[in-house]
Amino acid sequence: MKQSRSLASGIVALIVATVIFILPFLFIALQAVKSKSEASRLNFALPKEWLFWENLVAVVEARNYQLLLAYFNSTVITVFSVSILVILSAMVGYVMQRRQSRWNGVAQVALLMGLMMPPAVVPTIGLLQSIGLFKTMTGMILIQVAYNISFSTLLYRSFIATIPRDLDEAARIDGAKPWQIFFRVILPLLKPVTVTNVVVQSIFVFNDFTNPLYYLPGRENITVQLTLYNFQSTYTSQYNLLFMNILLVTIPPLIVFIFFNRQIVTGMTAGAVKG
Amino acid sequence: MTRHLKYRLASACALIALLAAGPLRAETTLSFLIDNGPDTLVAAEALVEAYAAKHPDITIEIDQRPGGGEGDNTIKTRLATGEMADIFLYNAGSLFQVLKPEQTLHDIAGLPALANIAETFKSVSSAGGKAYGVPFGTSMVGGIFYNKKIYRDLGLSVPKTWAEFMANNEKIKAAGKVALVQTYRDSWTSQILVLSDYYNLQASVPDFATQYTANKAKYATTPAALKSFERLKDVHDAGILNEDFGAASYDDGLYVLANGDAAHYPMLSLAIGALQQNHPESLADIGFFAQPSDDASVNGLTVWMPPALYIPASSQHVDDAKGFLDFVGSVEGCKVLMGVNTVQGPSLIKGCDLPADVPPAVTDMLPYFKDGRTAPALEYLSPIKGPNLQQITVEVGSGMRLPADAAAMYDDDVRKQAQQLGIPNW
Repeated sequence: MKQSRSLASGIVALIVATVIFILPFLFIALQAVKSKSEASRLNFALPKEWLFWENLVAVVEARNYQLLLAYFNSTVITVFSVSILVILSAMVGYVMQRRQSRWNGVAQVALLMGLMMPPAVVPTIGLLQSIGLFKTMTGMILIQVAYNISFSTLLYRSFIATIPRDLDEAARIDGAKPWQIFFRVILPLLKPVTVTNVVVQSIFVFNDFTNPLYYLPGRENITVQLTLYNFQSTYTSQYNLLFMNILLVTIPPLIVFIFFNRQIVTGMTAGAVKG
Repeated sequence: MTRHLKYRLASACALIALLAAGPLRAETTLSFLIDNGPDTLVAAEALVEAYAAKHPDITIEIDQRPGGGEGDNTIKTRLATGEMADIFLYNAGSLFQVLKPEQTLHDIAGLPALANIAETFKSVSSAGGKAYGVPFGTSMVGGIFYNKKIYRDLGLSVPKTWAEFMANNEKIKAAGKVALVQTYRDSWTSQILVLSDYYNLQASVPDFATQYTANKAKYATTPAALKSFERLKDVHDAGILNEDFGAASYDDGLYVLANGDAAHYPMLSLAIGALQQNHPESLADIGFFAQPSDDASVNGLTVWMPPALYIPASSQHVDDAKGFLDFVGSVEGCKVLMGVNTVQGPSLIKGCDLPADVPPAVTDMLPYFKDGRTAPALEYLSPIKGPNLQQITVEVGSGMRLPADAAAMYDDDVRKQAQQLGIPNW
């Protein structure tokens, strides 16, 4: 009795998962192999001709191999900004959790403001121009760090609360300097939440659309999400190429997710339990 | 171990980035920002190539931006921050006025090509008496696409009055076809019946545009203007629409028109480009007629102007940019454009005739132009266009709001826009 019920609920869960996750992906894949006129119907019908290779080549070659440049740019932005984010926010989270001082309140407010206040585009561009970082990858990386550091810091801070202070004290008694305590004792213990941070933030940064649109204009500065606009416009869209592009762009984050799936979930809950 | 790998990757990336920066070039490089329509890109590339053949010392790099609201924001942001490309493509008419051309753009007075450009176009791309843009593409018209095959099979003729049009619709419906397609998922398509009725409105109230800009004429209180909204209600109440009008998309609309399931689709002639791409075999069966009025003697087209190329005030290469604009505005540039793009209507450059093999829908438009039965759309005669028209027309077209109510609501929308633009009398 009990077994059959769990079997039934398992099947229901599988069906729901299929509808929510597999079907949209299948839809994308199907449109990606159709011809222009068939894809413009946007339905589940099988294509008359399978044009996988033709569409793939057309997408990669579009605008003088722009997609490859976009992959490179997005990878650079993602790798650098996530590395900086992880190190910085782990440090900030550690200090905020361990050392009580009158600056804590200020830092707390700053974090919450970072989470809640929407950034204004034109003043930010003005600032970037005045320090010569507008339209540069460095500027974009710094923007991604600035926009996402609040969230990362919150994750780290709550996770560090679960690490006993006794460890810090033991290290101190053994003669460790403050930076040694952090890098040799605490940082290795932060691995679960670091994985969460890396995965969540790299998917976010890689998939970011609006920020590169405003802060990183210029043909050579294209990122993968912006390449979608090569095939989609208000009045005429080439849906087959658009979906092929979506398919290609979806693959890197998908791989990251498949491999780190378990760590993400453990890291999330580890960070979430204690406040 | 992994840390080492990271360092290596990072240094490799940095090296590639350095190499990618490339050597300095001696000649001038102009940046050229266009929207992301596939036709626009093809046209821009052809123009740049033709220009490069004549001026090898100038390199023009094409950059794309999104269309629609996102594109408007991109343009405004880049103009406000002085980061606009040396040449950019943007709408003429009311959207152009919103850019505050006198402050943000560089005027092109004295450009040789201007002499050949139609006055109607110059009037919508000028501010303070100075010209700012050259047309990019042919003019475009609003009206009703129809399937000639259905018309032949049912023995119908092109309607001259709204009553005839509705009678045709009834016959098509009786024959089991969809008489009129509406596609409100892409809400911008819902405005067409209102906007392309402007020729008829102008015919009965000739000074509507000036009165409207001066805050004297209103949609709600001008019967001929209110009629534009009533058309939407008419077609909804007659039950001649496709069943899924609320959920169908623009592409769905073109599909049913092209494959002969539906007879009429009110649309701008830019749809010819999409038809050419997705349903090329059907183009021979697609015709076009002006939106009929109540009076058979009033029958003409509402004309939309193509977007224009502008030079921002922030450009460092104004003279070189002007050279390119001059080329685009010349007959030669116009021929290059027509060679690669689907023609959507007559050209605005004198001496640049249409090629012989234009689609039938374009041939259908020519008589109206020949007889002078055209009027520019209201957005080119007045700087004010309320931003929420498409939401309002969806409501009317779906039978959720009465025309009188909708017109009053639109007047209020217009008021806000006029106040934002700082137009006197509002």
